[in-house]
Amino acid sequence: MADYLLALVQTAVLLALAPLLTGIIRKLKAWMQSRRGPPIFQPYLDLAKLMRKGSVVSQDASWLTSLTPYVCLASMVVAALLVPAFVTESFGFLGDLIVLVYLFAMARFFMALAALDAGSTFGGMGSSREMLVSSLIEPAILLSFFTVALLTGTTSLVSVTSLLATSGASLIGPALLLAFAAFFIAILAENARIPIDNPSTHLELTMIHEAMLLEYSGKDLALMEYSSMVKLTLFITIAWSAFLPWGVATQVTAPDLALGVIIFLVKLLALALVIAIIESSMAKLRLFRLPNLLTGAFILAFLAVMSYFVL
Amino acid sequence: MAEINLNLINGLAAMVLLAAFILVATGRLRTMVRVFAWQSLALGLLAAAVAYSTGYWHIYVVAALTIVLKALIIPRIIDQIMDRIQVANDVEPSVRTPSSLLIAGGMAILAYYVAEPLIQSGETITAGALALSLAVVLIGLFIMISRKKAITQVIGLLVMENGLFMAALSLSYGMPLIVELGVFFDIMVAVLIMGVFVFRINRTFETLDTSFLRRLKD
Amino acid sequence: MIALGAIATTAALVTARKERLCIQLSFGISAVAAIMGLLTSISVFLEGDLTFEFIAFPFLGPFVIAIDPLAALFLASISIVGLAAAIYSLGYVPQFIGKYSIVKFCALFPIFLISMAMVVASSNVLLFLIFWELMSLSSYLLVAYEHKEEGAASAAWLYFVMAHLGTACIAACLLYLSYASGSLDFHQIALYAGQGMTELARSSAFLLALVGFGAKAGIVPLHVWLPQAHPTAPSNVSALMSGVMVKLAVYMLIRTAFQFLHVDILWWGLLTLFIGSLTALIGVLYAIAEKDVKRALAFSTVENVGVILIALGAAMVFYAQDMLQLAALALVACLLHVLFHSLFKSLLFLAAGSVVHATGTKDMERMGGLAKRMRYTSLLFFVGALSISAIPPFNGFVSEWLIFQSLLLSYTIQDVTVNLLMAIALGMLALTGALAAACFVRIFGSVFLARPRSEVAKQAKEANRGMLLAMSILAVLCLLTGVLSAQIIPFVDQASADIVGVSIGSQITDGWVLEVNGGEVSSVSPILLAALLGLMIPFAFLLVRSLGGRTTRAKGDTWDCGTPLSPRNEYTPTGHSQPILRIFNPLYRSKSSFTFDPSSSPYSKQKMGYSSSIPKLFEAYLYEPVARAILGVAKRASVIQAGSVQRYLAYIFAALVILLLVFR
Repeated sequence: MADYLLALVQTAVLLALAPLLTGIIRKLKAWMQSRRGPPIFQPYLDLAKLMRKGSVVSQDASWLTSLTPYVCLASMVVAALLVPAFVTESFGFLGDLIVLVYLFAMARFFMALAALDAGSTFGGMGSSREMLVSSLIEPAILLSFFTVALLTGTTSLVSVTSLLATSGASLIGPALLLAFAAFFIAILAENARIPIDNPSTHLELTMIHEAMLLEYSGKDLALMEYSSMVKLTLFITIAWSAFLPWGVATQVTAPDLALGVIIFLVKLLALALVIAIIESSMAKLRLFRLPNLLTGAFILAFLAVMSYFVL
Repeated sequence: MAEINLNLINGLAAMVLLAAFILVATGRLRTMVRVFAWQSLALGLLAAAVAYSTGYWHIYVVAALTIVLKALIIPRIIDQIMDRIQVANDVEPSVRTPSSLLIAGGMAILAYYVAEPLIQSGETITAGALALSLAVVLIGLFIMISRKKAITQVIGLLVMENGLFMAALSLSYGMPLIVELGVFFDIMVAVLIMGVFVFRINRTFETLDTSFLRRLKD
Repeated sequence: MIALGAIATTAALVTARKERLCIQLSFGISAVAAIMGLLTSISVFLEGDLTFEFIAFPFLGPFVIAIDPLAALFLASISIVGLAAAIYSLGYVPQFIGKYSIVKFCALFPIFLISMAMVVASSNVLLFLIFWELMSLSSYLLVAYEHKEEGAASAAWLYFVMAHLGTACIAACLLYLSYASGSLDFHQIALYAGQGMTELARSSAFLLALVGFGAKAGIVPLHVWLPQAHPTAPSNVSALMSGVMVKLAVYMLIRTAFQFLHVDILWWGLLTLFIGSLTALIGVLYAIAEKDVKRALAFSTVENVGVILIALGAAMVFYAQDMLQLAALALVACLLHVLFHSLFKSLLFLAAGSVVHATGTKDMERMGGLAKRMRYTSLLFFVGALSISAIPPFNGFVSEWLIFQSLLLSYTIQDVTVNLLMAIALGMLALTGALAAACFVRIFGSVFLARPRSEVAKQAKEANRGMLLAMSILAVLCLLTGVLSAQIIPFVDQASADIVGVSIGSQITDGWVLEVNGGEVSSVSPILLAALLGLMIPFAFLLVRSLGGRTTRAKGDTWDCGTPLSPRNEYTPTGHSQPILRIFNPLYRSKSSFTFDPSSSPYSKQKMGYSSSIPKLFEAYLYEPVARAILGVAKRASVIQAGSVQRYLAYIFAALVILLLVFR
């Protein structure tokens, strides 16, 4: 019982930290561009502001548009229940890594449909590009999870985390690192980061993710933005927990937990910094150059699997 | 200790293969040269690690030669050639990047499939790297086939040689020192000659596109 | 059940004049027959095999009808889909009154349904072949039903040819097996066929079976007839064909491979795995390129057949390596996907049928905005689309999850080729799954969302009650079978245990949770997921209402940058899939052309045209050369037919002389 309570606390922490992580990334990007940047708690204020605003719904839209924000939020919250962040406890029996992939797919399915619902060209563009990017990155994600499954013999994220964390350095090898690299590219692809998509662009012709949110306003927009922030947080957490979870608390004791929390925060910051660096130093790729990068991610994941069998 | 060493060797071998893939994926000549330099560096460190764990001193010599020649001198020469003829930085592939990446992946599978029985019979500590080195050789050949510029063909040949060296390392701790020295000398001469040829090709055709060489047939 | 079918047919023939009564009687009785079929299959699961012998011929052995759990599973899916199709027909068929002969439809439908049921129930080679042929013939006639539509006759003809090619291979394989085992009875063949057959013979029998059943199931490159025949048929028939008939081919393939031939050669499974991956990828790629909604669904069937074959191939590989537990897992995943696919694919076809019926067109580029005009249909189609894209907690998700798990556990095999092929199959499965989701976003978006693109779409009206009832049954089942899958798996496991010899039902399910290897490897609880998601949504709604206070919700125009938006501003289905088509162009080899109207100035043009088409590669490179070769040979051979009596007598004389010499 206490385990589940702890898992709930962990989920709550993840959900609460999500906007803060986005704020930190924006602040780091600003610093690298020699700007002061918005305060790191700004996303919270933005969400609160959106919640107070009225919304305008397109008259061409159907029941799908109204349903989508809630479905996205629901799928992200359920996904957050399945991810161990600083302690190897979660509602793991509900689902494993593959279920996580499909929960994210659920959110994306609804979002892409809602984008088509308003009947605007930009929405259609965002929807079609999003489906392209997700189709090309899915094999890479699943193969990198396959590598992890090969190394640990399980796909349940909790078991993976605890097995890797308690095995010392023996499982670190080219396979794990290559799979981590492939998954990192997947983080960028799935969360609309440069070089796949620009999350802060205002030019509709360059949008993928933003274009799908174009028609939303008020509370709906708040929910969709929040879901995206949670998705980024979850992806970064999964990257650490599934591939390099050292530092996570494997036993429920106070010092272990404290250490786990601190290391988790450090890890979040580390990947946030890397993402900020990448976003500030690279340009967004043209849409039809994306297959180069995404096939590269697939090859990385495939090499990871091969390294497991060969080496 | 031995386990760390083994992991290190495997990691370096994987890096050599990864560098080969990056060579296939990149679209710029300067990047290709630099990645090749890093690949040779990784290979040299791999040889050093092998030498450390087996104690054969002649592998140290070979490792040092690899690093000096292939990671430092040859890239410098190629850079100078490129500066002199002011070649455009674009690699002109005849097979586009995603397809060439997938073909390179297929080569890796082929190499693994072919090398598997050999791995079982090998007794050296780097047996697993044999499949990777065969893959590197095949990918080097593929680079030579699928890119049009003359400089990329040079690099492809050098990558093949890297792969062969790694294969020799993984099977039998390198070839006898004399053979290694001979191979290195041949590589140097080959690069110098190719430099001259590239210069002449550029002067004759105003381009490095080797498909123009077909005109010599007329 | 047969008796009911016969009654249905005769009733149809009898009430030829009064068309409405004819429809109600025949489909009503078919529905009852379907319910009886379902009850039969449930009783087999609960009580054990059902055997019924009738008519014993001296040579041919007794004609036995035996329903074992595997057959019962397929019978259940036939019955459920048949029931839905029959109810649907009550509302759908009246549109044909006056246009085509109702009697034919009402008579053929029960025959089709019953022949499918008998195919799974037969336990004798001849009986099987008879009903298989009957099934093909009745479906051919049904496909050709709307013969006034253009292309219908040629599609039906192609279907006829391919079906008979398949039947020829199947017959060859099965008859050879009976010859080898000395009996026509399935049980006897299962016992004796393995012995005394060389490996070459068994492999060729397997290949014949694969080709023959594959032609019926729609594997690449034998799939060409499927996207032509399935859409041409009336929608309730399409549902039956796509949902059930292709699965019967898989049923017999499973039985042949496992029971008759005792899969113990590794490359059989690897070949199936490879063909499955290829089929899945090509199916979904062409589905994304299609403008016609029913053709897109037919290609999606091809894709799912590929996925089923991937699971089957994995099962065969494990079985050949003597890893029976894993084989059972993969086979359970395969059978589960078969069952679930029949549910959601028939739902999709029925819903598409309602849409086509309401708008009068099959072209997606002329639809749109139907979600507001056909509310229930759109909701039901949406359930089908969610299921086929493997979105939790619907049933497609559960079967895909199981297939992934069975592929992931392949690392325990030590073989190089197997490991790498499994990894590739895993990547392909992921790719096709994501592309399938993209395909259905496209279809649902173009057909139902945004503004109507044409007058016919604006005028569309909701489907009538019969059609809605049928679709609702299937939709509810999609959700229930997904959520309660832990309860359904023991039944599926009975079927697979018969084949593989090992029952893993208890290992996979644990109360409400589906797990693999006792929960240590991985687990998923569809019902809890469904419960959480279902609770979360209203909870979120309430939460959002309370935070930030009440806010207004106004209706306005879609943001239009100042110009009023017309349907032409919406993304078309072609445009939606255009990036994917461009990326995969090396596989499509599409041809595009620009045309310019000549105008005086070279700098400004009045009219430009762009056309892009995807050539039918398989037909151009594979079928047409073969067809030409056959015609060429036939032409040469037709020289023999000189027409004169003397020539023929001369042939007979020559044959007689040769025979005498040979048998001297």
